[in-house]
Amino acid sequence: MNALAEQQHSFMAALLDEERMLPADWSGRHAVGLAIYRNNYRTAIVEALRSTFERTQRLVGESAFRRAATHHVIVNPPSSWTLDMAGEGFDETCRQLFAEDPEVAEIAWLEWAMHRAFVARDAVPLSAQAFTGICASLVDTDWEDLRLAFVPGLTLAPVCHDLSRLWPSLNGADEEPTILSLETPHYALVWRQGERPVFVLKSDIEARMLAALESGATWGDACAILVGALGEDGAVVEAGQILGQWLSQGLICGID
Amino acid sequence: MSDIAPFHGFGLGLRRAHYTDFLEGAVPVDFVEVISENYMVEGGKPLRVLEQVRAKHPVILHGVSMSIGSAHGLDENYLARLKALAGRIEPLWVSDHLCWTRTSAHNSHDLLPLPLTNDALDIVCDNIDRAQEALGRAMLLENPSSYMTFPNDEMTEWNFLAAIVRRTGCYLLLDVNNVYVSAQNHGFDTTEYIAGLPLERVRQIHLAGHTPGAIVIDTHDREVCEEVWALYAEAIALCGPVATMVERDDRIPALPELLAELDRARAVAATGFGISA
Repeated sequence: MNALAEQQHSFMAALLDEERMLPADWSGRHAVGLAIYRNNYRTAIVEALRSTFERTQRLVGESAFRRAATHHVIVNPPSSWTLDMAGEGFDETCRQLFAEDPEVAEIAWLEWAMHRAFVARDAVPLSAQAFTGICASLVDTDWEDLRLAFVPGLTLAPVCHDLSRLWPSLNGADEEPTILSLETPHYALVWRQGERPVFVLKSDIEARMLAALESGATWGDACAILVGALGEDGAVVEAGQILGQWLSQGLICGID
Repeated sequence: MSDIAPFHGFGLGLRRAHYTDFLEGAVPVDFVEVISENYMVEGGKPLRVLEQVRAKHPVILHGVSMSIGSAHGLDENYLARLKALAGRIEPLWVSDHLCWTRTSAHNSHDLLPLPLTNDALDIVCDNIDRAQEALGRAMLLENPSSYMTFPNDEMTEWNFLAAIVRRTGCYLLLDVNNVYVSAQNHGFDTTEYIAGLPLERVRQIHLAGHTPGAIVIDTHDREVCEEVWALYAEAIALCGPVATMVERDDRIPALPELLAELDRARAVAATGFGISA
């Protein structure tokens, strides 16, 4: 390691760890300077988290959020070149720090997923008409082997709370957040429509189909999940409805 | 490496608070400077906004994360993304700071100070050579503000910058406020600093506000102070016509307030050139 690399390694360690001893040839003035850099560093990350996780902050309150954000900076010092990624893993930090209030981690996950979808790669979703046109010549076996490509930024995660009620109640206008548990587990699905990130809650079965297709499974594999849950007859009708809904929501951008 | 032609004009940094002003109105600026990293994304609204602004104004890409002073070299993925953005936007030029921001493991997201040593000079020059090669264009390097110097410093900051320019062929972005802030913190003479730079290589000047105190902090959260205006008058008279912009990154006011500051910059520059504003 060259002299500059050693010096930068020591400086970074001192920046991240306030307890660290300073080099012997540093004066009090150096310590004052380092304190400013330490403050700048921590403030920038905490402010970035505050900007990305506005609703999480409203849910837990400002002081609890600041403690959680500071904890996150200490435990997960950023490594990416972009400050935009400073919030990666903050939902997990919230899961640990607010273990008695699992809705906090769910909202943090949702805000992070929306944040990432906002700048995801652009793609034009297939309309129902375009999809029908492309599939007009398919026979049954072709449908079995069909693979769907979903719009970039699409992601989903299991949730136990009704985020469709909680999210709007945290927009800053309501005094109290609406925290309602779901009777059955659901998944929150996030993607971008045009320039706007959006989300909906999906059933466990539909989410499993989406996850399988996202991982490269065929439409036939996804329908087998449906058959396992609903039986052959119910699955046929439901599969058509689900596919139609995905197209109308702008989730699909290609087929293979 | 191709030369960067002088561009004489007055501009502002594009900030989210003013998106609507720039997209829907005719903002009287000659160029717009954006923080490169905010637009080094895959897609979505930020890029569409930037392309719409670009259709109206010349754009400068000003980076904060190249880490040109990093002993660990440059991030090739970062350079590739910046090059792609520059290809898409066709900026007047690309700039970043004389500083380092990261080690191989962590990123501070702050502009950290470099020791002014021959060892550091070699590394900075190697990194600028690599950046200019990767980007396929010469770049501008901005003098930093700093809150500490190092016991092992071997030269002044202006001599360090002059050596970089001589060895790499890069250009300079002279931040007059940074000169003032660092001079207050480290006790050097601002006139000596500016006179020591290769001024024929300055292509842009930054003006900004700072927070006074025992240590002056470069906060970009208030108007340009009188001392910095005086230093700008001194600098612009020496540099001749170069692009000038007002930087505001925090407590961002309504656009007319910034445009008024830009009008003052026009007037100061006109006086410096001996022409009427």
